[in-house]
Amino acid sequence: MKVEFLEPQSLQDAVAMAKAKGVGARFVAGGTDLVIQMRKTGVLPEAIINLQRLRALGEIKHDADGFSLGALVTHRQIESEDRFLGGLQALRESACVIGGHQVRNVATLGGNLCNASPAADMVPILLCFNADVTLVGSSGSRNIPLAAFIEGPRKTQRAHDEVMTDIRFPKPAGKFASAFLKGGRRRAMEISIVAMAGVVSMSAGGTMTDVRLAMGAAGPKAIRLAQAEKFLEGKVPSKAVLEEAGKLAAAAASPIDDVRASASFRRHLVGVYARRVIELGWNRISEAGNDRSAA
Amino acid sequence: MNSPFRVIGKSFARLDARGKVSGKAVYGTDFAMQGMLHGKLIQSPIASGEILSIDIERAMAMPGVYAVVTAKDIPAQRYGSFVKDMEVFASQRVNFVGQPVAAVVARTVEEAEEAVRAVDIKYKELPGVFTTEEAIQAGAPLVHPAWQEYKAVPTVKRDGNVTNYARLVLGDVEKALKESDRVFTHRFVTNVVHPGYTEPRAAIAHWDDSNQLVVWSNTQLPFEAQATLAEIFKLTPSQVRVNLTVIGGGFGGKLRLGVEHYAAAAALKAGRPVKFVSSCEEEMTSALPRQPLTIELTTGVTNDGKILAKEASILVDTGATSGSGVGVASSVMLMLAGPYKIPNLRLESRSVYTNKTPTGSFRAPAGPQGNFAVESQMDIIADALNIDPLELRLRNIVREGDLAPNGQKLESVSLETCLLKAADAIGWKDRKPARGRGKGIACAWWTTTSGSSGVYVKLGPDGRVFLNTGCAEIGTAALTGAAQVLAEALGVELADIQIVSGDTASTPFDFGAQGSRTAFAVGNACLDAVTKLQQRMKEIAAKQFSAKPEDIEITTGGVKHGDKTLSLREIAAVAQASQGGLIAHGTFIAPPTLHDKERTENMVITAINSPSFHAHAVDLSVDEETGEIKIHDYVVVQDVGRAINPKYIEGQIEGGVVQGIGQALSEEIVYENGIVRNPGLTDYKMPTAMDAPNIRSFLIESPSKVGPYGAKGVGEPPVIHPPATIANAIAAAVSARVQTLPITAEKIVRTLAEVSTKAT
Amino acid sequence: MTEVQLDLTVNGRRHRVSVPAHHSLLDVLRDELELTGTKTNCLEAECGVCTVVVDGKSVASCTMLAAQCQGREVVTIEGLQDGGDLHPLQEAFVEHGAVQCGYCIPGMIMTAKAFLDENPRPTREAVREAIAGTLCRCTGYQKIVDAIMAASQRLVQQGERP
Ligand SMILES: Cc1cc2nc3c(=O)[nH]c(=O)nc-3n(C[C@H](O)[C@H](O)[C@H](O)COP(=O)(O)OP(=O)(O)OC[C@H]3O[C@@H](n4cnc5c(N)ncnc54)[C@H](O)[C@@H]3O)c2cc1C
Ligand code: FES
Ligand code: FES
Repeated sequence: MKVEFLEPQSLQDAVAMAKAKGVGARFVAGGTDLVIQMRKTGVLPEAIINLQRLRALGEIKHDADGFSLGALVTHRQIESEDRFLGGLQALRESACVIGGHQVRNVATLGGNLCNASPAADMVPILLCFNADVTLVGSSGSRNIPLAAFIEGPRKTQRAHDEVMTDIRFPKPAGKFASAFLKGGRRRAMEISIVAMAGVVSMSAGGTMTDVRLAMGAAGPKAIRLAQAEKFLEGKVPSKAVLEEAGKLAAAAASPIDDVRASASFRRHLVGVYARRVIELGWNRISEAGNDRSAA
Repeated sequence: MNSPFRVIGKSFARLDARGKVSGKAVYGTDFAMQGMLHGKLIQSPIASGEILSIDIERAMAMPGVYAVVTAKDIPAQRYGSFVKDMEVFASQRVNFVGQPVAAVVARTVEEAEEAVRAVDIKYKELPGVFTTEEAIQAGAPLVHPAWQEYKAVPTVKRDGNVTNYARLVLGDVEKALKESDRVFTHRFVTNVVHPGYTEPRAAIAHWDDSNQLVVWSNTQLPFEAQATLAEIFKLTPSQVRVNLTVIGGGFGGKLRLGVEHYAAAAALKAGRPVKFVSSCEEEMTSALPRQPLTIELTTGVTNDGKILAKEASILVDTGATSGSGVGVASSVMLMLAGPYKIPNLRLESRSVYTNKTPTGSFRAPAGPQGNFAVESQMDIIADALNIDPLELRLRNIVREGDLAPNGQKLESVSLETCLLKAADAIGWKDRKPARGRGKGIACAWWTTTSGSSGVYVKLGPDGRVFLNTGCAEIGTAALTGAAQVLAEALGVELADIQIVSGDTASTPFDFGAQGSRTAFAVGNACLDAVTKLQQRMKEIAAKQFSAKPEDIEITTGGVKHGDKTLSLREIAAVAQASQGGLIAHGTFIAPPTLHDKERTENMVITAINSPSFHAHAVDLSVDEETGEIKIHDYVVVQDVGRAINPKYIEGQIEGGVVQGIGQALSEEIVYENGIVRNPGLTDYKMPTAMDAPNIRSFLIESPSKVGPYGAKGVGEPPVIHPPATIANAIAAAVSARVQTLPITAEKIVRTLAEVSTKAT
Repeated sequence: MTEVQLDLTVNGRRHRVSVPAHHSLLDVLRDELELTGTKTNCLEAECGVCTVVVDGKSVASCTMLAAQCQGREVVTIEGLQDGGDLHPLQEAFVEHGAVQCGYCIPGMIMTAKAFLDENPRPTREAVREAIAGTLCRCTGYQKIVDAIMAASQRLVQQGERP
């Protein structure tokens, strides 16, 4: 079976090619998911449409409203982005634990989201930042919240001819910090058995506000932990408060047993990491002192 | 330092380094031949069953396909180390998922892979056994119903799924256990781990017109490959020529045939050279991992910590063929007595078939498994008796002149030095420095595999010296070590030596790169060659100087008589002009290790040859909530007899420890009803550079009588202790004693939870 | 005909090869160009033995589509040497005993090369992080880290010379 290789030079071309080729065509960005899937299944697409010439999708931009990351931005770009120090540092922390340098140098954010693995490490923090994704297809362009875009393991709302162009999120207001933690058997090269991202702000009264928590790898898709967030709102992160938040988080997990970890261990880790992520975020705000522009 | 040596003890760069850093070294996966085709295996998808039919028609019609090879295409011949229970392709039954049933030969790898999917094989599934406990039950399904028809070495005592039942017995255990103040019984279970060499097994086979089979492969043992291929294809060994490529790691995983036999069968049928390279999935499902062991260990002690007796019952899961598991079942008993003086022993082991991947001889076979049990239990006992674990060891270890459990007399015993040094280096006095932090220690002995070695040492026309050996260089730099021995003894520089290795037709026999023996045995053969070569040099010089050979004096780089001298180059010139050059055949065979045969029953390995002694210590922290481990410091003290090349010995230690840390903490081939659930490197978790700690090595030189310049085997020992050392440190840090490997974060957290529920 | 007509530069030399769209850069390097210094093993970006440098960045050539390398610059281990002289990284690996079986070494050196080009003065920890995607089963990494640290110093010194 012969595979066609198409190199669109513009977004419009890419969409048109995908439309013309139908469901047998696949986009490729970094290829770190696609190439392995092709080899493992032995099933080849009829056509591979290379997105890498669409240079405009490889930039990180920001304006007063927030950030926009092109779908072709690599994990390496994210982990070395100076604007993602301070309050946004969990973005760097999420990106820098994906594979080795060789993977991060080519693997893209768009690929990570479109591949929709339950363990995709970029998803939790972007859920915390209430990110939207933009899809451009033959019937036009649309914005969807990331939370809705990913429907389940390897399932998204993306139509086959839609290109993800960028991922946007507003910058949280006020003084805030973020953190990301991931569990795995080794210190590197691990697919998360649990991933946890959190964003927390400090109110004028010195309590937690606008708390956001999201977990990955502990259910069919990464989700926000609404109950834990609600519980933490307005509180000071005492030991007891964190403990309770951890319990709420664990209760929201619906993990599976697999070769990497048992469901019960994953649930246990969700509790621990939820607590630690909030604690870490809180310490970071406190350390940042009055510097409101940490982000 | 005042060293009496010029070359020994110096950290020269290995002789093959440049080729390896430049990308020019040709490995098994790189080797190519004109006209070569590519082969791919078709593996059984079921763990136990009968082959009903194989339909190759559709595959044969596919583009590029030359042949589909099955058991029918080659002689019906079983082979194996102790029991001949293996076949190249399954002929009637399949016994494990991943077992080769056929192979496709095509012009490209991709075409072969496509054709593999087109071969239609029908099976009738039969019940299998997946644990040794099941397999030894009366009435359990037999992995090999025809086991009685298989040939086997006479030592083994077989019965159904049991391929050997062996014992080591000394004194009166029953009585001693009764007399003990305390008796401890524990069960330890170890994991299936893959050697993890980075180069998959690869081979090219070619049949030439004279019915000679020529193979290029990355095997560790070219002469064994030659013998086994001859057996399989019903040839005389000399009809098989095995050539070595550069080898990308072995660790024992490339001792037995890898893919050479498939390549040979495929080349025979296709009439063209055929290359096979294992895929990563094939490596994980059908290579030769380390046997998992279940060890029940009972130890009787006095209140002051003197060990009176040990009793053990061991089950060795060899997978679908017995392989070297029979040997493991024997040598684990030598490990289980520990390097301790114990008057009463009753150890028994069974090697057992299950419907899983056949296992092999991964670095220090039986070492890590046995050590994990013995040394974990030593710490449990120490805690129970309220004796410091180091002290408990010191009260029981063997010392100079003591007898080993098999009755052999121990010499050059440096264990106490090793233990004390390791304890000192790790800061043993402060064994539990903080909550969640602890230190662990473990010690062991290990053997240097015997077997004979031959080398040709040849003087080149320019005075360069060729070291021609049948032993492979698998990466350890052991041949550079042997060359250092040669350079030292012959009075030349290391840079003057050129190693030629690995062609069964033109190199002398060698028992091969296994069992920590390479530098030891090849080095000794070099010493013998030097003696012979120097005699010949004297004779040549004597003629030149009109003197008597015994009056000629050997110097660095030549000979002299009075004020007359001849350099090696001049001697070489004379030799070439007058007597067809100068070449010496050096040989070595280790003297047998005498032991008490009364003590061992049906054991296929009975001695610890030129034993080496070692101790490891670690300092680590455990995160009690996540079970994560952070290693702060790792210390190895190893008696190497003589450090021929300290840098590469450190390299062996560092690499071995990290491999051992993998077995201890993260690696495991996981089976579910015989199916490997993690057949790739995503979930077979070898330590990365982030997981490996810095390791501090201390080399002790307590010379052996046999090794060249006193050297002992060094390659295998470092992998033995990490599981026990780490388990002991974890128990010291957080009071969680995990008795199954690997000690994952999950197990630590679970054990801690159990401990705390028990406490409340 | 659906093969891709690929024009790429490998070790400074331009090549034109025709490849199926789903073939990897590793396939092209080893099978088409017969540059076998780049090694093959897991084929899923887990072991790093196939690492090469593409446009200055280390990549696992086993998971990079060859077709995506149209017009790009690839450097493999064979391109590191300057005539007969080893690159300082290669030299350091020899000197520090960082090579055992050697099968991981081409990938390891290329990983380190791209890393040092961007981070000329790394810490040991940073080096370990940088090579985490390249497995070595023989050495335990310690001497590899030694070698990369030594090479970084040498490269910095060389760079600073007028
Ligand atoms: C060794 C290794 C380790 C890894 N470790 C991790 C890890 O720790 N954490 C983690 O989250 N991931 C990990 N991954 C997975 C992977 O690297 C990421 O998911 C990566 O971000 C995918 O990006 P890519 O550009 O390579 O995707 P590709 O393989 O190019 O594409 C993936 C999928 O998305 C589609 N696609 C890509 N871009 C677009 C777009 N712009 N519009 C529409 N569709 C698109 C493709 O058609 C394909 O179906 C690892 C992978 C490897 C090989
Ligand atoms: S072969 Fe490419 S990373 Fe393993
Ligand atoms: S030197 Fe053998 S794998 Fe690294």
